[in-house]
Amino acid sequence: MNMHAKHSADATTVEEGLAIQEEQAKYDDNFATETAMANTLLTPRFYTTNFDELDAINVDGIRAEWDELIAQMEADPNKGHFKKNEDWDHVDWENMEPQLKKEFIDFLISSCTAEFSGCVLYKEMKRRGNNKDITQLFQLMARDEARHAGFINDALREAGLRVNLGFLTQSKKYTYFRPKFIYYATYLSEKIGYARYITIFRHLEANPEHRFHPIFKWFEEWCNDEFSHGEAFALLMKTDPKLTQGKNVLWIKFFLTAVYATMYVRDHQRPAFHKALGVDPDWYAHEVFAKTSKLSEQIFPITLDIDHPRWQPTLEKLQRANVQIAEAKAQGGVGGKLREMAGAAKAAMCFFSLYTIPAKKHEVPENTRLVPAY
Amino acid sequence: MGLLTKEIERAPCTVEISHCFESLHAHVRFNNGAVIYPGDEVKVQGPEIMAPFGEVVSEDREAIIVRASKLEQLWTRLTGDFEVMELCEFSFSEEVML
Repeated sequence: MNMHAKHSADATTVEEGLAIQEEQAKYDDNFATETAMANTLLTPRFYTTNFDELDAINVDGIRAEWDELIAQMEADPNKGHFKKNEDWDHVDWENMEPQLKKEFIDFLISSCTAEFSGCVLYKEMKRRGNNKDITQLFQLMARDEARHAGFINDALREAGLRVNLGFLTQSKKYTYFRPKFIYYATYLSEKIGYARYITIFRHLEANPEHRFHPIFKWFEEWCNDEFSHGEAFALLMKTDPKLTQGKNVLWIKFFLTAVYATMYVRDHQRPAFHKALGVDPDWYAHEVFAKTSKLSEQIFPITLDIDHPRWQPTLEKLQRANVQIAEAKAQGGVGGKLREMAGAAKAAMCFFSLYTIPAKKHEVPENTRLVPAY
Repeated sequence: MGLLTKEIERAPCTVEISHCFESLHAHVRFNNGAVIYPGDEVKVQGPEIMAPFGEVVSEDREAIIVRASKLEQLWTRLTGDFEVMELCEFSFSEEVML
């Protein structure tokens, strides 16, 4: 891989910077083709929600917990942390095993896009809201997400990949999510993100020979941000007890099942990544589910029974169904279509089977706030 | 807003793109107070805006807002929730094989 002569960060004028980027883009395109990454254009989605409902949130009932969390986020303990320093070891992209490289770049791009989309969503909520408590929270979270995205972007640049932010000049349709679905989905996403990162971080602390890229050294602080964001969503849900009672418990179970199952399937699609880390994806999944369940007890009245005899075999079946769908799509034709439909039916059955495993019920504690302890 | 007809609006906007280490973000702000509703489509006019690495670029542009019809707006409100899982972050893309 030949490196670019000059970095756009060194450009003195916008024109010069653009010219360097143009030059780099040609190279990036080649690299993108070589590594089968179709495109590095970030494609965040755009959302609207019921902003009146957000404005109506009243945090007075949980004021002490709320103020403490906001103060902690405002103090910004991670400011200046997401920078390359002497701990950022040289990355030998050239000699990285090709499959690992593909999977790792998929990891970087997906993570960057997710942080970026989070930033867009939170910023929109900040801008459209009129409730000072809520807009302040979303502003702080948008800051963290943009910071993480910038950090991952830097790792991508080192790999020769340019992230394209030109999506704004493409037509964007705004979809709609109900606030409560945003709470359930993002709460779980932040908490499972914490569990995922901290599990890898601790594993690599014990087995540093598997740390094939320096970015993993930053996982601890990174996931502490995810942790606080999760805390914020837990408190938001606490302002309205109905969100975690009655029929909504079925929604909570749905989100828990969907998030765990999706994580299981996606991780098993990246064998080279996990092999390089020296992590067995089945062990990893169980570890992450156990931690996430423990954490989510802070606000959810149920947790999934991940030790139920049906749990693991059904996840494995779901994974196989997913592979069948992908292979059938690639096969094409009538035969392919039929196999694809059969695979989809199998996947739906598996999901139903997972969803109907009786959940574990428990009392939700009086005090919601937790601190990262794993 | 018609039940089936779409209306097109133009709105002055400010686009801010930050391609910095400290922050990677891109936002559009409508300067005439235009509000986006479910199902609306927004397109910022003009060439792609690129921020060189290490810079924040802010440009005033015009955006075209294609307003969703009443029916489309209702449809988006009813069905948008199905896609809510995309808010979850799973570290990897959904591609089965790379």
